[in-house]
Amino acid sequence: MSAHNIEIALAVAAVALLGLDAFVPTLKRDIIPKLSIGLVGLALLAMFFAKGDTPAYLASYYRIDSIAMFYKVFALVATLAALIIAREADPVIAHFTGTEGPSTRIAEFYILPLIVCVGLMWMASAQDLISVFVPLELVTVTFYVLVAFARRSAVSLEAGVKYLILGALSTGILVYGIAWIYGATGSMTFAGIAKAVGAASTSKSALIVGAALLLAGLGFKVAAAPFHVWVPDVYQGAPTPVTAFLSVGSKAGAFIVLTRAVQALTATGSQISGEVQTTLLWSGVITILFGSLAAITQTQIKRLLGYSSISHAGFILLALAAGDSARFGISSEGVVAFYLATYLPMTMLGFLLLAVLRSQGVAEELSQLQGLSKRSPGMAFALAVAFASLAGLPLTAGFIGKMLVFLAAVDKGWYGAVGLAVVGAAAGFYYYFRPILAAYSAGKPEDTALRWSLPAKATAAVLVLAIVTLGVYPKALQSALKQNIVLTSAGK
Amino acid sequence: MITLNHYLVVAAMLFAIGLAGVVARRNILTIYMCLEMMLSAANLTLVAFSRFHLHDGLPDYHAQALVFFTITVAAAEVAVGLAIIVALYRARQSVDVTTVTKLQG
Repeated sequence: MSAHNIEIALAVAAVALLGLDAFVPTLKRDIIPKLSIGLVGLALLAMFFAKGDTPAYLASYYRIDSIAMFYKVFALVATLAALIIAREADPVIAHFTGTEGPSTRIAEFYILPLIVCVGLMWMASAQDLISVFVPLELVTVTFYVLVAFARRSAVSLEAGVKYLILGALSTGILVYGIAWIYGATGSMTFAGIAKAVGAASTSKSALIVGAALLLAGLGFKVAAAPFHVWVPDVYQGAPTPVTAFLSVGSKAGAFIVLTRAVQALTATGSQISGEVQTTLLWSGVITILFGSLAAITQTQIKRLLGYSSISHAGFILLALAAGDSARFGISSEGVVAFYLATYLPMTMLGFLLLAVLRSQGVAEELSQLQGLSKRSPGMAFALAVAFASLAGLPLTAGFIGKMLVFLAAVDKGWYGAVGLAVVGAAAGFYYYFRPILAAYSAGKPEDTALRWSLPAKATAAVLVLAIVTLGVYPKALQSALKQNIVLTSAGK
Repeated sequence: MITLNHYLVVAAMLFAIGLAGVVARRNILTIYMCLEMMLSAANLTLVAFSRFHLHDGLPDYHAQALVFFTITVAAAEVAVGLAIIVALYRARQSVDVTTVTKLQG
């Protein structure tokens, strides 16, 4: 079975589940969530046996290579984690949609992530600006619904409206950029663009207009400065599982597109490779600084994670700008993929804990975490691992990701940029450790013990294990995926 | 004689008007119309480039294919967007962006 069949099957399954929900009114509340999780798990399993060959009739739009396979697996894992978090957040979502009780359902909340997943998997293989645009919009439009899903909550609705307007704005900018790139190069495929950017007959000014608009449109999706303004509000307002999925899935999808676009625009002999590189570099540095410094004063944890997500996007942009480094044996796309692979477990773990805590009445405020270590030692430990890794403490996954980015930038001789990024990372140690300190501080005497369900506990254990394994033995990712996407010598 | 540049200038003006509207207007429905105008500007640019990129005397149809996808996506976006705006109106009795201020900081 070829990998693209898995995506098609998943899309068909999602539509079938919607039909099942619509036409079988007697269905029990937890059937659709279980089916949904089961299907994603099955697809993930099938992915490891899938062949990486591209069918000939798709070849000009779609290619399955090792980096595409990585992002497809990544999309499935992120969807699975988001669905598990959604199950933990079910009572909260039910409260804000007026569907409490076993006879009602919120099936769409568990089916729409499957559609997002299909979009992300397709994007991973896209070789053509048309086949980039359509899945990108499939993901964005589905997220409009998901962000505003808890429609009786004023903040969820408000986040939905903000995401809607800024998302649609970024779509407009992106399409206009695609139009200008097409106008300048006469081609819609990445291969054709890579060939045309070096040609003398290509107009440099038209190319710059197109590239600037394209990078701005994608910058919105990955939360790069100066297009990050929507992130804190939307992350805080959206339901927790959606925030988790948005910060991991949507970001990874936009980054694979950005990786391929940057590779095409900076192909050998390109007239604008210098401009693209400088833009990415300074956008990355400003993103890191903004995300890190604005997070210092935050007390709302979802908002804090929003700023954290901005700052991580900055590090990935820096890796993209730096390009391949022969001295350290790392490739740009490999560093981006590895950074995202470390970002997934730590962010998902953070949001999983927030969802578990929220369902037991602990709000997403720093002060509410006090005494967590007494109320549930396991949760406090998992929280400490997640936030330590987000900060980049050695022996956690986050450290290796940041180190690779610094290596790639140092190899280019960008000491100023590295210095500023280190300032951002150091600020991270301050604000990421505040939740950990709160969790291990003394609580109030009337605090009761917190419980978590078995699936949540098992997922948290797997994520903690993933963070530590990637931090101690980063090559595990490479051997686990049997894909040569990551590094050759560095990161040991 | 109307050349490629005429189309591009009209499209750029449409895009600029749309962008200015998104930034300056306060009514969400008006903002949404301006966003649609930006997509139309992109479509016009695509069709113009396609018409003037001749392959064997015929326009290059890749860009025109994208125009159809853009129109479809815009329709889907409007369907979802208007539903969210209606939900907002029910909750606030207003579609003014200045009332959307619960999330700040």
